Amino acid sequence: MKTTIILSIISFFFLAAATGQEKYATKTGEIAFEASVPSFEEVKAENSNVSAVLDVVSGNFAALALMKGFRFKVALMEEHFNENYIESSKYPKATFKGTIQDFSLSDLSGESKYLIKGTMSLHGVDKNLEVPAIISIKNGAVYINTQFVLRPEEFDIKIPSIVSNKIADEVNVSAVFMLYKQ
Amino acid sequence: MKKKRIFLLLILFLVLGGFVTYNYVYQDHRDIKSETSQIEITAPYLLEQFKTNNGDALLNKTLTVTGVITDVEDGAVTIDESVHASFVENSTRLNKNEKVKIKGRCIGYDELFEIVKLDQCSPIK
Repeated sequence: MKTTIILSIISFFFLAAATGQEKYATKTGEIAFEASVPSFEEVKAENSNVSAVLDVVSGNFAALALMKGFRFKVALMEEHFNENYIESSKYPKATFKGTIQDFSLSDLSGESKYLIKGTMSLHGVDKNLEVPAIISIKNGAVYINTQFVLRPEEFDIKIPSIVSNKIADEVNVSAVFMLYKQ
Repeated sequence: MKKKRIFLLLILFLVLGGFVTYNYVYQDHRDIKSETSQIEITAPYLLEQFKTNNGDALLNKTLTVTGVITDVEDGAVTIDESVHASFVENSTRLNKNEKVKIKGRCIGYDELFEIVKLDQCSPIK
């Protein structure tokens, strides 16, 4: 009797360890955003060191971008972004934690549309978001592709009136994650 | 004659002003590769600094990190499972278990992987 209990406990732990390993992740995901206004200098930045983890059993997804990792074409713009708008010393990262709705790894084939519901934390402000994503699987890697729009004022980011006509009110964000099994 | 001189002077000032403004607005990016690093540190010790909340002073600084490569990705390596370094040149080739010295800019602590991230890195020979 005792041995069966011990055995079942051991097998339970093995099972837990096996299911716990269904994680796909990357440290080099890409996020780009653009808030350009026509006929002004383009306001565009890219970060190619974004971390992301996907639990393919539960569909839980988390991403983390370090704000200092965003690179602009114009160095002064990068400086203003860090020091005045996003305040990257005070708020060094942006995170997203959520769940992919109705996600199942075995159903993945070709490109399919999903909805990710979760919380975005940026500039010290948390906001609930629903983000559409295109997810596919290729050569053992899970690809997550998403595009959405954020508004700076929703995250308490103030843009001075002198430059407000050069920066769009709506910031287009796009992200690409190529996640490998860990 | 005097009017002409004032006019020429004004043009000169305008050109000079324009030049200075242009250079200010379109100043060059930092070149981490040519900057001297402010501190040389082992990878686990750098991680320790961030875990004990002493890392903020190192943000945006040029650092030299030493350690052994534990993971190799496209254009990036992980050192001692504590520092993730992405290279300026994608062609940088380093191998697993290689002992390295890498210079880069510290961009912060990634709590998802519990790792410190550096970008614009280059290996020091």
